[in-house]
Amino acid sequence: MGIQEPEQTVLDIEELRGAIQQEYDLVAREPERGFHFHTGRPLARMLDYEDAWLEGVPEDSIASFAGTGNPFRLGPMLPGEHVVDVGSGAGLDSLIASRMVGPRGNVIGLDMTPAMLARARQSAAASAQQNVEFRDGYAEELPVPDGWADVIISNGVLNLAPDKAAALGEMQRVPKPGGRLQIADILVQKPVPASAKRKIDLWTG
Amino acid sequence: MAAGFIDFAITWRAKVYADAPQASSAEDFGTLGITFFARKPLNEQERDDYLARQLCELPARVEDA
Repeated sequence: MGIQEPEQTVLDIEELRGAIQQEYDLVAREPERGFHFHTGRPLARMLDYEDAWLEGVPEDSIASFAGTGNPFRLGPMLPGEHVVDVGSGAGLDSLIASRMVGPRGNVIGLDMTPAMLARARQSAAASAQQNVEFRDGYAEELPVPDGWADVIISNGVLNLAPDKAAALGEMQRVPKPGGRLQIADILVQKPVPASAKRKIDLWTG
Repeated sequence: MAAGFIDFAITWRAKVYADAPQASSAEDFGTLGITFFARKPLNEQERDDYLARQLCELPARVEDA
């Protein structure tokens, strides 16, 4: 009897990123469309976002919110802190963090979907929040200097990163010593076969 | 924890995909939304102390009688 070789997980990373961008482009442009995940203000309420956090945040950023948890329930961002939001989407968490850290603090949100970046930048401009900026980038290559952040937040994004070891490596590089990770994501309780991991539609749906 | 973090803890979990507008494969794999906390150690000493505490907390192995 032969020894069965473990199945290899071979993914076309560019194809995967393209499919994810396509999905979240729709969430940015047509958030009311209805997806396999909840979105918008009802989702924020479901995840215990406080009404006070949402006050003054432009509705576009709230409507396209598609997180899987609430990073702020792990503790507030403190005045003056530097925050990186990995996969900032339409900007809701970054905009909340920017108000928590105040004018002496800074927030960098990064995302790979142009329509999401556009929403987030419009919202930051509309709410005159000058301590937050949105950059184009991948979780595996954060466009942030070593040791810059006091806190890294992320909401429903790590599961979409094709190279999770690289993404976690970046989450180790970017914080200062003692820096915190406050992450919302997903946990899969049943084994996912390698054949399923290769199906791009399972990553996005 | 992998990648050199300390104080790792999953603090919340919930069925965040339940009743979403479109059907999802998430249910097939028992997918939950979670939040987790971790911290980058202040220095190597703090990391080593943390790892030593984790090793001490491993349950002793009980051999079959």
